[in-house]
Amino acid sequence: MICGRDHGDQNTAQIVDLGFTLHRRRRNRLLKSVVQTEMDEQGCPRCKTTKYRNPSLKLMVNVCGHTLCENCVEMLFVRGSSNCVQCDTPLRKSNFRVQLFEDPTVDKEVEIRKKVLKIYNKRDFDFPSLREYNDYLEQVEDIVYNLTNNVDVENTKLRMEQYQRENRDVIQRNKAKLTREQEELEELLLQEQQSNEQRRLEVLQEEQRQLQAKRKNKQALLDELEQSQLPATLLLAQHKVRAAQLETQIEQQKQAVKPTSLFSTGIHMRQTVSLQPVTKIEDVLYHYRPLQVETYGPPVPELEQLGRLGYLNHVRAAVTQDTAGGYTSGLACYRAIQDAFSGLFPLRG
Amino acid sequence: MFHNSSQKKYWIFKSEDELEHMRCKANQKFRNKALESGKKPGVSESMFLQRHEEDVLFRHYERRLLEFCNAFKPTMPKSVVGTALMYFRRFYLSNSVMEYHPRIIMLTCTYLACKVDEFNVSCTQFVGNLVQETPAGQERVLEQILEYELLLIQQLNFHLVVHNPYRPMEGLLIDLKTRYPTLESPESLRKTADDFLTQAAMTDAGLLFSPSQIALTAILNSASRAGLNMESYLTQCLGLKEEKETLSKMYDSMRRMKTLLKKYEPPKLEEVNISKQRLERIHAEFASSSNKRKRGYEEDGHVAKEPRLVEEEWTDEDLI
Repeated sequence: MICGRDHGDQNTAQIVDLGFTLHRRRRNRLLKSVVQTEMDEQGCPRCKTTKYRNPSLKLMVNVCGHTLCENCVEMLFVRGSSNCVQCDTPLRKSNFRVQLFEDPTVDKEVEIRKKVLKIYNKRDFDFPSLREYNDYLEQVEDIVYNLTNNVDVENTKLRMEQYQRENRDVIQRNKAKLTREQEELEELLLQEQQSNEQRRLEVLQEEQRQLQAKRKNKQALLDELEQSQLPATLLLAQHKVRAAQLETQIEQQKQAVKPTSLFSTGIHMRQTVSLQPVTKIEDVLYHYRPLQVETYGPPVPELEQLGRLGYLNHVRAAVTQDTAGGYTSGLACYRAIQDAFSGLFPLRG
Repeated sequence: MFHNSSQKKYWIFKSEDELEHMRCKANQKFRNKALESGKKPGVSESMFLQRHEEDVLFRHYERRLLEFCNAFKPTMPKSVVGTALMYFRRFYLSNSVMEYHPRIIMLTCTYLACKVDEFNVSCTQFVGNLVQETPAGQERVLEQILEYELLLIQQLNFHLVVHNPYRPMEGLLIDLKTRYPTLESPESLRKTADDFLTQAAMTDAGLLFSPSQIALTAILNSASRAGLNMESYLTQCLGLKEEKETLSKMYDSMRRMKTLLKKYEPPKLEEVNISKQRLERIHAEFASSSNKRKRGYEEDGHVAKEPRLVEEEWTDEDLI
């Protein structure tokens, strides 16, 4: 997924999903265009200054890859069609799109790619092997590259038409599949939205009800104070109790969780799952054997035993500053003894 | 630890003959290379150094190395000195003094040993210890050291950890004090044992025996000098009562080590001077012809960059 930046909004970058993966060759150029500074953008090639003065002005790109700001487009294409300012190719006003990338050639390529992929819309499971899929992708990239850089345009167009003729039914099928998938996605999104809406409404209603209950309570108190014979303090106490009860009720309702019908993985609660036993894999049981190292010398006493055996009496005691870091005199002693005994006996052979 | 170190695997040899053989091979290799590279007039077989002359020079520069380390400020710990000496020895096991001049290699060894042993000295502080040089001269020396450093590491086969006998000696003294009450004051043995270890570092003992064996020999030697008998230590405490064969082998190695130390003689001044002159001639002759290969670690066919400075000749007196 690659992202484009909407030039219309200077302060925030809006992420636009263009829905396809970019060949690595193009990616570096694209990344360069995404990372850019705010005010230091290219001006319109015609009325150069207007871009800086008017930050909300948009740049538009056409099929030849050259940019023009909105105003210039209005002015030049008042008749509907004219020639490009820089390269003199005949253009139509309707072909102008808002520029998404800093480099107009990238926009041009994006447009070309969309058109090419409408025709070359095979997917990875259409191919028997990975190699063939990659070859197909390489073909697509070559075509896009040729059309973008005006290399061998005629032949490329011929190739495209040939492919279209040969694979007409595959293209149709994939188009249909794509639309079906998109529909399903949209349905899911819609459902989510609806459930969100519902939840929001419910929460609002709850709050309304709670507010009403509180108000009624207050009103009831006032009425009682007016009409009842009991002393005021008693009434107040009763009112307090009732208010507390209401509060706890509200709390409890907040805690109550609505039972769902779906596990978080997407499996329905009532759905039966296969309970076949998993195939058993038997392997040799692992036995722990402690590491044996040949030291070519007499055995060294354990670190913990050094104190008991009296070695530590002959080593400089650790200062309190050293012990703070975890040092003990036993460590230095142990290392010295190890070094003294390692390799002491003559080597065999 | 020593028992699974690279020192035990690759740098402990069976006998002095093997070491001598390796050094002769290095000598021969340089002769062949020198004769091949340039059939220049004035180059003859007689120019090259013989094995015994190389030996004299090696011992001389080894002493210079020791003196340099002892005069070093801040005080260099013994393990660093031991490591530097071992590097020096290992380097000239497979290279000839005629090819790489010992005075540069000796400083490079010390510099590398400081780094490896984590004795933190900055490079300017290091060359600051060359008191006879001007600061500019010290800079030049530093550049040379940095040039040869990678070559040294390569010739050491990237085995940089060296186990010295100093910590094993401490360990043995601790063990003696704990488990061997027969010996009243092991501390009295320390001084002579230390001297033994320093002498042993100037011999091939480090390439033939493990550091704990050297330390044990040092202690037994100083005990026998003081007239104390420590045989029971070996049999009882080290558990060698039953292992007669191991015991005899150990005594054998100790005897060999003591012979090595006895054989060592400090180089005589006249011999040193003669050999030095011949060495300088060889270096002058061949260093100029192989100027492009000044950066010692470059491969053949590599296009060398411009030398950053003209290599000025500094003499030995500049050292200390």
